[in-house]
Amino acid sequence: MAEAYPVLHEPWLVGSKSPAQVTEDVCSTMERKPTAVWWIGLAVSLFFLGVGVVAVTYQIATGIGTWGLNNTVGWAFDITNFVFWIGIGHAGTLISAILFLFRQRWRTSVNRSAEAMTIFAVICAGIFPVIHMGRPWLAFWMFPYPNYRGPLWINFRSPLVWDAFAISTYFTISLVFWYLGLIPDLATVRDRTQSGWRRKLAGVLCLGWNSSYRTWQRYETVYMLLAGLATPLVVSVHTIVSWDFATAVIPGWHTTIFPPYFVAGAIFSGMAMVLTLMLVARKAMGLEDFITQRHVGAMCKIVLATSGIVALAYATEFFTAFYSGNPYEQFAFWNRAFGPMGWGYWIMVSCNIVIPQLLWSRRVRSSFVAVFVIAILVNVGMWFERFVIIVTSLHRDFLPSNWMSYTPTIIELATLAGSFGLFFTCFLLFCRFVPVIAIAEVKGILRHDQRHEAPRAHTLAGHAPAPATALRGSAEEVHP
Amino acid sequence: MPENTSKHFWKSLEERDADLVQIASAGDEFPEDLTTLRDGFGRRDFLKAAGFTLATAAMAGCGRAPVQKAIPFLVQPEEITPGVAYFYASTCDGCSAGCGLLVKNRDGRPIKLEGNPEHPMSRGGLCAVGQASLLGLYDSTRYLQPQEQGTPTTWEEADRAIAAQLQTVRMNRGAIRFLTGTVTSPTSRAMIGSFLRGFADGRHVSYDPLSISAILDAYERTHGARVLPRCRFDRVDVIASFDADFLGTWISPVEFTAGYRAGRALEGEHPRMSYHVQFESRMSVTGSKADRRVRVAPSELGLVMSQLAVRVARKAGAGISWSVSDSSVPVKVLDDLAERLWQARGRSLVVCGEQDVQAQVLCNFLNHLLNNYGATLDTERPSYQRQGNERELETLVRDLRDGKVAALFIHGVNPVFDLPGGDELSALLKKVSLVVSFAERPDETSALAHFVCPEPHRLESWADAEAVAGTLSLAQPTIHPIGTNRALIESLSSWMGAPKPAYDILRDRWQASVFSRQKKERSFQAFWDRSVHDGFAEVEPERAKLQSFKMAAVQPVPGGKAPAAGAFALVLYPKVGILDGRHSHNPWLQELPDPITKVAWDNYACLSPAAAARLGVADGDVVRIELGAGGAAKTLELPVCVQPGQHEQTVAVACGYGGKATERFTQVGPRWFQAKLSVGENGRVGKNVAPLAELRDGALRYAQANVSLVKTGKKQPLACTQDHHSIRVPEKLALPGGERREIIQETTLPVLLSGERGAKHEAHSGQNTEMWPEDHPSPGHRWAMVIDLSACTGCSACVVACQAENNIPVVGRDEVRRRRAMHWMRVDRYYSGPDDEVDVAHQPMFCQQCGHASCETVCPVLATVHSEEGLNQQVYNRCVGTRYCANNCAYKVRRFNWFDYPREERLQNMALNPDVTVRSRGVMEKCTFCVQRIQAAKIEAKQRGEKLSDGAIRTACQQSCPAQAIVFGDRNDPVSKVSQLLRSGRRYAVLGEYNFQPSVGYLKIVRNRPEGEGERHNG
Repeated sequence: MAEAYPVLHEPWLVGSKSPAQVTEDVCSTMERKPTAVWWIGLAVSLFFLGVGVVAVTYQIATGIGTWGLNNTVGWAFDITNFVFWIGIGHAGTLISAILFLFRQRWRTSVNRSAEAMTIFAVICAGIFPVIHMGRPWLAFWMFPYPNYRGPLWINFRSPLVWDAFAISTYFTISLVFWYLGLIPDLATVRDRTQSGWRRKLAGVLCLGWNSSYRTWQRYETVYMLLAGLATPLVVSVHTIVSWDFATAVIPGWHTTIFPPYFVAGAIFSGMAMVLTLMLVARKAMGLEDFITQRHVGAMCKIVLATSGIVALAYATEFFTAFYSGNPYEQFAFWNRAFGPMGWGYWIMVSCNIVIPQLLWSRRVRSSFVAVFVIAILVNVGMWFERFVIIVTSLHRDFLPSNWMSYTPTIIELATLAGSFGLFFTCFLLFCRFVPVIAIAEVKGILRHDQRHEAPRAHTLAGHAPAPATALRGSAEEVHP
Repeated sequence: MPENTSKHFWKSLEERDADLVQIASAGDEFPEDLTTLRDGFGRRDFLKAAGFTLATAAMAGCGRAPVQKAIPFLVQPEEITPGVAYFYASTCDGCSAGCGLLVKNRDGRPIKLEGNPEHPMSRGGLCAVGQASLLGLYDSTRYLQPQEQGTPTTWEEADRAIAAQLQTVRMNRGAIRFLTGTVTSPTSRAMIGSFLRGFADGRHVSYDPLSISAILDAYERTHGARVLPRCRFDRVDVIASFDADFLGTWISPVEFTAGYRAGRALEGEHPRMSYHVQFESRMSVTGSKADRRVRVAPSELGLVMSQLAVRVARKAGAGISWSVSDSSVPVKVLDDLAERLWQARGRSLVVCGEQDVQAQVLCNFLNHLLNNYGATLDTERPSYQRQGNERELETLVRDLRDGKVAALFIHGVNPVFDLPGGDELSALLKKVSLVVSFAERPDETSALAHFVCPEPHRLESWADAEAVAGTLSLAQPTIHPIGTNRALIESLSSWMGAPKPAYDILRDRWQASVFSRQKKERSFQAFWDRSVHDGFAEVEPERAKLQSFKMAAVQPVPGGKAPAAGAFALVLYPKVGILDGRHSHNPWLQELPDPITKVAWDNYACLSPAAAARLGVADGDVVRIELGAGGAAKTLELPVCVQPGQHEQTVAVACGYGGKATERFTQVGPRWFQAKLSVGENGRVGKNVAPLAELRDGALRYAQANVSLVKTGKKQPLACTQDHHSIRVPEKLALPGGERREIIQETTLPVLLSGERGAKHEAHSGQNTEMWPEDHPSPGHRWAMVIDLSACTGCSACVVACQAENNIPVVGRDEVRRRRAMHWMRVDRYYSGPDDEVDVAHQPMFCQQCGHASCETVCPVLATVHSEEGLNQQVYNRCVGTRYCANNCAYKVRRFNWFDYPREERLQNMALNPDVTVRSRGVMEKCTFCVQRIQAAKIEAKQRGEKLSDGAIRTACQQSCPAQAIVFGDRNDPVSKVSQLLRSGRRYAVLGEYNFQPSVGYLKIVRNRPEGEGERHNG
């Protein structure tokens, strides 16, 4: 039947799937026994997580001195990792909120896992500001809680305080947004599950979803509102993170271009991370039909666009330094590129600017292997971007007597590995226990004919009418 | 219960209606038998148990803070208030210079040493060694009782055994020798003399591990007496120094620095600046301050002096007809210097640090030609700071070899360690039947002694010193002795059969032979009291019997043999802080970066950049120094330190390292799995280079004409606190206009005197740079500091002073290598110019207490805040340790507690200043202008009801500075010294263009050079 229509675009999904089949495809991954690949992945992730836990425990018990920091370089891996993970966390909100508002319907295949990725990335990120403190057991002093210390409160002028607010807000909104999107799918899970604790849990978590018109209507409204609320956060979080540097006096940090530059970089790295995960997930979880060439192509274009913005930012920084006439500023950038840590800069430039240019080619975009490699390299490059900004700016600042080098210790490397371990552990558990694709939403991009003429797998499937505005698929079953 | 039949009165209806029996029994408070309660655990038992439990729990809960014995004085001494510091005058014995001390005492223990501002020599300064000698008092490795064959014994037994042995010596008319360093104490000297007179063959031999005996020998030749005239740098206008590091380690550096500073007083009505030329082979502290510094090979120094002598003699009309060959020094330089010296005759000074009598004779000749005797060289009041005579030492060694010595007493020196033939000596000592050491702590020599009769620390005992003739200093005990140690004079008195306490001996001697030398005080008691109070007394000097200058002794010195091509001359030098190694047990001094190389914790082979390039080595590459060849070759492996300004064919190594006392440093520093020890493979800090020195022809020689260097391929990273050495950015990173940073500013004397540049600077800084209204008003005081970079010699006394005052931990070699030294006050050292004609600038750097502090805004928890008096305060217990403040500090002066630095040496903790918090790990710390001192002075002024006077507050760094380069005060007071200096044309702010508004002003370096030459390297 599909051949009868002229094809303007490739279809977003492969094959002619009925809504029931979609449900079946997505949910069966959770119901089957996990594959060996999954187990291996989990074991490796848990191993790295364990390494990280040991490293962080040792570091907190012994002192920050177990890191390679010194009197001049006071931040290195800690804040690099923090900014890196926060950046990763950006794609989720972008896909769920901004692309939703822009009616980019292809997002439905990836938004669930992108949002999950956001949450895990923010968790990973959130660890670093705490453990990088000399006295992490006093981290709660960063929050303006009522206390008996009189005028001694937090310093509202400090970007670190803004950070605490920005990140906790971002995390809360992302979590709520993710959870809200999950509700119809949790109802599906509930309905497909035999009685037992899983069904009960899903029953509680889906808040008694009954798939009525009224429920759907309210749900859509709330989703839309939350998308509107989350949109500014996409911009604000990394803007505020960039102020950690932009408000400082250190040449290489003190730059007004940082907010847009950081936001673009965050979207860039976040998209690359989504690509990395999706390409793995579609293979590992058997979701080839849902995450297609077209999805990957669309994301590649975003990566390419943000790579361009980032390139412009790098160039602008150099121009500003040159144009400022400030010798310290000029030196900071010259040293960044040609100083003893210049290798970091050139890794950054090649991974973030040079290599993504390959994505102009449709052939590269359609090669999953090539895209996967590029996405990984972009992530490497973006990690180095933060490292370059933080460490090479600090290590040679104003007084030459303070110039020092920096080498990470094994504890820092283990902590970085541990953060990846945590991230992938969370992500693998997510793949196992939560529908990785927004079932209800993805049905909205099924072809019309298929949606209505699909064979009915379950007795009540399709009874609930889909709201016309959002072109959504319905939950399979209505709760009795 | 008795029957109550009497009439009952009631007070209320309730009472009347109540049970009558109960009312009746109300008179008996305890109607029941308390001891016979049913269950046997009564209320009182419960309360006892509860009380006991609570007390036990409370005690157990106090585990982190051990129970302190805070017992108030039973009879409180009249003059002591707990918690109030008292100062006692004393005399430093960190070296033999004998500077005046003020010992700050809190609650019966000394916690800080300061210079005595009234002392006629040191004038309030105190060097790093002096500052750090406090830790020697609280040293857990110190002997606290006498030792016999390495095991503790009692004084009675030791005395009995020693007396018996001495009796044998006396009977056999055996030879007895007293080997000491320079003994500046006239009482000790006299006691040693009278002790030795009790024997048929007794002799007092003294030598200085850092010897200048050639000077004394030269005076014997030219003036007929072994004297050391006192150099008066304060009277000098032109200084020619031949390898004499008089601002760093030579004879009496604090005194000389004070004098040198007086000769370079640039502020005030009549600016004055001496002209200083330094000829040297390695870069010394003194060389770093010279107006003209000339690199000369060690072998050429004598030749250069001869050339100079010829020129000066020609001017003086002294008929000498020498044919002197040319040296590498340009003729123009010598002509110019000779002219300047001649113009300033009587106000000039030639000093020489060479251990070569001929060169020293030439030096005397030059001073004689220039009429400096009696003017800049005080022969009336000569110095007794070095008295070593190595000809006698050679005789002693010969006697030891011949087995002639029956008893040897060793005091104040460690010959097995610090003499070239240490191994041989240790074998010889074993042959002597009685070796008695007076060492304070175990060392190489005391390990071989039959008896160790340890001396108390200077701060525990009475002592005197006459460092310069006519200036007698006193030292008094400032703490109850920690052990049972006995002063040398006490031990001697008891061996002479009349044991007396040191106080009595000292006082008796002063009454007998010092009191008569003064006329100020009528009664001895008054004289004594004043001397004890002041710490010194000025009396008539004993006249030195100098003869007129003997021309016959003077000969030109031919150029020595230059090292063969590819070979090097070896120069051994003392390092500020470590000197000859007598304080190598001291962690403060080990961690003190060298003023020039900025390396702590090790000695190393200094090579010029060209030589290092030729050898293919860089900083930290280990080279083997080989002296001699074949089986007798002496070798030593040391890491290289590339040193600009060093002579191409010279390798310089610091002595005093690798001593037994440094074995303790296995314990220093934080412990974690990647931590490395502070000691090397030999279990000690650095390597001992004494075997490469030479005792030859009656002098200890610290140079070797010909050694070869071999690259070993090993690496030993240096614990250097400063990576980059220039104010210029690396050439390949230099963009036009940004090659040189204006962090160090220099000018020349002519420019300064013409005042042009100064005025220009003033105009620039006068611009209004404020966008916002002042939000930090300082209506009362506003503290500020000025550092005179021209005066600062980089000696680093301030660094140790700050460490002592502010309880700054020692972190160990590994942490210094990781660039985590904790010093709040550091002295940055920058080079400029080409390697052969390098200029050095020293810049003390510490918290600038910015008005617009970048650290303050970024702290999320308000742990660093601005005080009303312009200070950046650091609230340790509020700090969570984000390190954002340190990152955002443009001067990088904040220090983070990366670990809990061990403070497990309980005794050492006695030196902690109770006014300053000991910081825990994870907390940021930094200089706060010694806020505890500010508070103390304010409280005192308030108590007196007076206004705080200018100069009442002296920060620890300022107090110790021998050059008075640091001035602290209230800039709101327009007449305070600091305000005046802040208005000086020389003043600039580091990174002033960033408008941090630092409270610290720096005064430009002034070089006494023709206009334009001062900034010749500054591009």
